[in-house]
Amino acid sequence: MIELILFLSIGIGLLVLLFALARRPARQEGTAQALVEAKHALRTLQESLVAAELVERIFDQGDWKYVASAAAEATKDEFLRDRKKIAVAWTHRVKTQILSLKEYHFRHSRFYSQLNPATEFSLALSFAALLQQCRLLQLLLIIGGPYAAPALVGRTAAATARICAVSEKSLAFLNPATAGSFGDQSPEDGAAVL
Amino acid sequence: MALRYCEIFMTQLPKRMDVQAASGDLRRRTLAHLPRPLDRLIYLASMRDYNTGIYYHDGLAARFSQEAACEALAGCHQEAFRQLLASSIEDLVGQLAAYRESSHLDPAGFVALWRGLEPYRIAVPAETDSLSVDFLLSNLKIALAILENHPPPHPTPEQGAWPRR
Repeated sequence: MIELILFLSIGIGLLVLLFALARRPARQEGTAQALVEAKHALRTLQESLVAAELVERIFDQGDWKYVASAAAEATKDEFLRDRKKIAVAWTHRVKTQILSLKEYHFRHSRFYSQLNPATEFSLALSFAALLQQCRLLQLLLIIGGPYAAPALVGRTAAATARICAVSEKSLAFLNPATAGSFGDQSPEDGAAVL
Repeated sequence: MALRYCEIFMTQLPKRMDVQAASGDLRRRTLAHLPRPLDRLIYLASMRDYNTGIYYHDGLAARFSQEAACEALAGCHQEAFRQLLASSIEDLVGQLAAYRESSHLDPAGFVALWRGLEPYRIAVPAETDSLSVDFLLSNLKIALAILENHPPPHPTPEQGAWPRR
């Protein structure tokens, strides 16, 4: 009798587990969507968000010095309000794109690129540190205004650029030149490697 | 990015060499007469059909092709936007003052119109990053406010916003 109860319990347990697994949202490992999102995040970060010209311009104190000397009080307030909003939005955008890259690295990248465990661990630490840095920067900008933490802005932009460089390597197989080399590997019977 | 708009309605893609040649021609013959990024931005935006996003320039299209002309104009438009984005607010005030001088309009009326209608909003190239757009629009708004209350004594030399014919 005890054995019967035991086997029934195990059976029910396995059924529950099977049901739970079946109900789990389908997450295709290494889907094309994940690749597209990671590539988009990388491009957004490299081409606009951490482009030196934009970062320097947003946090340039020269603008504030000029506005403080030339503008009326209402314009000065408007400038600081606008610049703070843009600085916070910049930090938020960087954080969002970093999260997207992190998602790609920890869920999908191992299916496409061979990162060794030490690199993966180091990358995980870099992502965690950068995200904390973004949160701290956002807080400082909200409290102290757009010029509250110039050194931290520089460090965040530099750390983001480093992570982008690593991500670029793991997404390099999507570049046309690499895709071309895959195409060259097509067998002679006409079956193309796309 | 903006080049995609040129591709939507085009039956064939122009060759890269044609686009480069068309860009060179545009810079030499037309944009060289517009030394300020603000003037170039306004001029190049006026070459664009707002319904389709396609740029038109009859002279350039006749020398090269409509497709090459469109891509060359779109590329130069993006370039002018980036240059304006890199301008400090002090520089923007100077550029606005010079543009106002070249328009031969009543100075107060010009500033009031620009602050009210914000025509520069539609001069932004398509598919530009929203943060960059917000940043430039904010800078232009502040520069106009400064120009209204504290005009620079000597704007940069008069230069028309439109190329000499």
